Amino acid sequence: MKIKELLAVVDKGWIRKPKGFRVHFEKLTSEGPIVDFVPGLDQALMDSDVVAWRSAWKLFQASQSDDAEFGNGKLVNIFVVDEDGRPVKFYATNRHEIFNPHPPKT
Amino acid sequence: MNITIPPGMERLRYVLTNYGWDLVLGMAALVAGLLVARYVVRQFAKSLALAPLKPAARATIVLLVSVLLYVTVLTIAFVIIGFNSDNIFKFLMVLTLAVIAGILMFRPYLPSLPFKEGNTIKSGTLLGKVEAITFLNTRMRTFDGKTVWIPNSKIFKDYLMNYHYSPTRKISLDVRIGYHQDLLHAKQTLEAVMIEDARILTSPRPVVWVINLLPDCVALGGRCWVDNSKYWTTRCDLLEKVKLRFDVEGIAFALPQQAVHLNYPDHMKSQATELPASDEESTEVA
Repeated sequence: MKIKELLAVVDKGWIRKPKGFRVHFEKLTSEGPIVDFVPGLDQALMDSDVVAWRSAWKLFQASQSDDAEFGNGKLVNIFVVDEDGRPVKFYATNRHEIFNPHPPKT
Repeated sequence: MNITIPPGMERLRYVLTNYGWDLVLGMAALVAGLLVARYVVRQFAKSLALAPLKPAARATIVLLVSVLLYVTVLTIAFVIIGFNSDNIFKFLMVLTLAVIAGILMFRPYLPSLPFKEGNTIKSGTLLGKVEAITFLNTRMRTFDGKTVWIPNSKIFKDYLMNYHYSPTRKISLDVRIGYHQDLLHAKQTLEAVMIEDARILTSPRPVVWVINLLPDCVALGGRCWVDNSKYWTTRCDLLEKVKLRFDVEGIAFALPQQAVHLNYPDHMKSQATELPASDEESTEVA
C-alpha cells in the first residue's frame, strides 16, 4: 500500500470531514410536526459548526418565549446536521445533542 | 513726445485687435465646456456605481469617458479661437499615441502598490481594509472603524503586509499540557479537532508536533491551513473547540508553575519538629 492510499483509508475511516452544516428543527402544528432547516435546503450551507450550534441554541432560546402557545408553532428537536442530513456531534460535549427534544426525555 | 512700443507689446496688440473676440469666445467655451464635462462625468460615475462592475473596471471606464470629454472640449475651444481642426486632431492623436506608448514601455519600471481595493493590509503599525487608491494616497478603514489616508510615498518606504496576496493561510494552535497528561491522547484530540472542521484544508494536511519540552509543561503545536478569507473566524472557532474538547477528554492544560524542593540539612531536622516526617518536601507554586 502506498502512502497516498493509506491516507485515503485514514480519511475515509477515521474522521469524516463534513462539507457544511444546517440547523434542523421541527415546528409543531395541529397537522403534525413540520421539518425545516436553517439555512434552507436550497441555500448555501454554514461552514462553521460553532456558528450552527450557536444558531441552534438561539433558536431554542427563542422558542422558549412562546410557552403560552405551547404545542402550536413550537420549535422542537433542534440540532445540527451535515450536508447529507446526518446529525453532527455537539463540539462542546463530543456527543449528539438535541435542544428541546420532543417528546421530552424522561 | 514719442512713445516707443516694445515689439512684444506690438505683437500682443495685433493679436488682441484681430483675434481678441475669438479668444474671449474660446475661453468662455473652454470654461463652460469644462464645467459641463465635470457635471456629466459625475452623473455618469453615479449611474455606473449601480452597474455590477468591479471597482477597478468602473474607475477605468469613468477615466476614459472623462478624458474623451475633456479632449472634445479642448478641441472645440481651439477651433473657436481659430486653430485648424485638422491640426488639432493630428496633435491630439500624436499626443495620445505617445502617452500610450510611454505607459506600455515604462509600466514595468513604474512602482506600483502591491495591493488592490478590498485587500486587508498592514502598513507600518496600521492594519485595515483598503477602500480606495488614488495617485497620491491610499484610503484605509481600520477594524475599529477609523478611516486613514496614508500617503503612497510612505507606503513605499515602509514594510507592507498584504493578507490577501496568498489564497491560503496557516493557523497555529499552540497548547501546553502538563507532564502527567496523556501526550498521545492530547495529540490525537488536537488533530481530530482540526480535521473535523469543514473549513480546514485537506492539503497540506493538519499536523500536530511536540514543539518543546519546557520546565513546567509539554508544548504541542497544531498546524493547519485555511482559506485566507476564513482565517480569523476559523482560528477563533478552533481555539474554542480545543478548549472544550480537552475538557471533555480530561486533558488538563498546563498552568505556569514551578516545583520547589525543600532539602533540610541534618542539624536542622531536629529543630523543625513541625515539619513533615520526610526529609524532602515538594510543593508546587502556581
